[in-house]
Amino acid sequence: MKPTPHIYALTNSSLLLDASHLDAKDRLSIQKKIWALTSHCKSTDEFNDLVPGMNSLTLYLKSDKHLNKWVQALPTLWNDIKSSTFKGQHHLIKTTYKGEDINYVANYHNLSADEVISIHSKTKYHVLFLGFQPGFAYLHGLDQKLHTPRRDEPRIQVPKGSVAIGAAQTGIYPADTPGGWHIIGHTDISLFDASQKQPCLIQPGDTLEFVPIAVAGATHD
Amino acid sequence: MIKVLKSGVQLTIQDFGRVGLRHLGVSKAGSLDPYAQTIANRLLNNNDNEAVLEITLGLCDLLFNCDTVISLYGADFKATLDGKPIYPGWTYAIKNKQILSFATGRAGLRAYLAVKGGIKSTELMGSRSTDLNACFGGLHGRALAMGDEIPITPYQQEFIKVGAMSLPQRKLIRLHPSPHVHLLGELLLNTFASTVFKISTNSNRMGVRLENNKNSLVHSHSLPSLGVSPGSIQLPPNGVPIVLLNDGQTTGGYPLLGTVIEADLHQFAQFRPLDTVEFEYVTFEQAAKAKQKIDGHLHQLSIALKNNLYK
Repeated sequence: MKPTPHIYALTNSSLLLDASHLDAKDRLSIQKKIWALTSHCKSTDEFNDLVPGMNSLTLYLKSDKHLNKWVQALPTLWNDIKSSTFKGQHHLIKTTYKGEDINYVANYHNLSADEVISIHSKTKYHVLFLGFQPGFAYLHGLDQKLHTPRRDEPRIQVPKGSVAIGAAQTGIYPADTPGGWHIIGHTDISLFDASQKQPCLIQPGDTLEFVPIAVAGATHD
Repeated sequence: MIKVLKSGVQLTIQDFGRVGLRHLGVSKAGSLDPYAQTIANRLLNNNDNEAVLEITLGLCDLLFNCDTVISLYGADFKATLDGKPIYPGWTYAIKNKQILSFATGRAGLRAYLAVKGGIKSTELMGSRSTDLNACFGGLHGRALAMGDEIPITPYQQEFIKVGAMSLPQRKLIRLHPSPHVHLLGELLLNTFASTVFKISTNSNRMGVRLENNKNSLVHSHSLPSLGVSPGSIQLPPNGVPIVLLNDGQTTGGYPLLGTVIEADLHQFAQFRPLDTVEFEYVTFEQAAKAKQKIDGHLHQLSIALKNNLYK
């Protein structure tokens, strides 16, 4: 029998599809199916919100009349859906790798700062899901060579646009916020703008890569 | 325009909040007691979703710089209009330059103030609600402060004074079952449902923490992050459950004890620190019935108001 995700009715109008037990070693493949399923459900116009988590999807229905229908339908849909039916956008994140902690990260791994930059910027990262704050993307793909335990003492303020590493993850802070990750760089790209109709640059399932640039105005090292 | 002379503990502009943006990490925000907002608006013949002021514990003074009509609903903070007492559940005509003052009260945590035509601050992503964590919406993306000027439309026509009864308060909150029974175990969930909790002082619009003397809810499980919403009850390893409210984040990695039914979630707008609360798991049918009961109450109110306002 094919392994199937767990389906739970959370309330009269919301459901959880939990596929996190299916293959903990290949989270990305599972997540690709989550994105494809999200996209399919979105096209039905029966949901207020479709929120991917890590190998899960929480579905918020517009009407509780449809709850049972979706409880029945989701396992079959999961088996039928092809991850290839979904393709996200690719973003280039221009980054100045002059973060406060880049030397710390380099020293921690016995690398030079340039090596850290080269490893960090050569990867294509997948946006697994968003959360924590508006526009904050949980990225998949940080090279193991850069996994770095979080700072012992979180910073009271990590500036907006900071590119940072925390344990096995890397990410970009969309707004000023407290944070315990190591800041390795900075980008001017706006990830979240509440005044825009499409407030977030990055969506679940998108891909991105960091493109190293020199500090604006600098002419030489 | 309404000028804030004194803002009190936390004074914010709210409506029903934001929908359809949780996948981007954008919280709902909005009135913690949406039924209070609805009733306050209906008393003025406003749309249910017009923005209102959410007043926490009172202690604020507001100066009206135009004529309007207001309605008050929710906790009773001994409000006065130019020194004359006014009461929750009623509408009042306001004259230019009148001052509305809130003292504080013994029960309840939040009062709602609606104005004829609603508060006209800028709408962002389909809502005028203040997102206090992400700092946008409302006025300047923050709680209101002394000197702020809240935009409203003057209203000088006659109106008929109307009132509405309060919805009943509950101390026994009804819940949908946990999706994490296998992880947490029946024993822990039964313990949770038979414990009397105290509302922690460490509670806010993001969530209400539930203190108990036992440490029988302590655990060591963690989960891959999953979507959470207002009403989700998270159980961090320290055994202190958190009922997520409107400003709570959109994903989290703590196991869930269950979800507060829609009909009961608004009760958390009024719990004060040290109030006690208990929980019981109910069926989907019971939850739907509880919702129908409130909807029925609101529907009756609308009919009664129509008969009064347009006869």
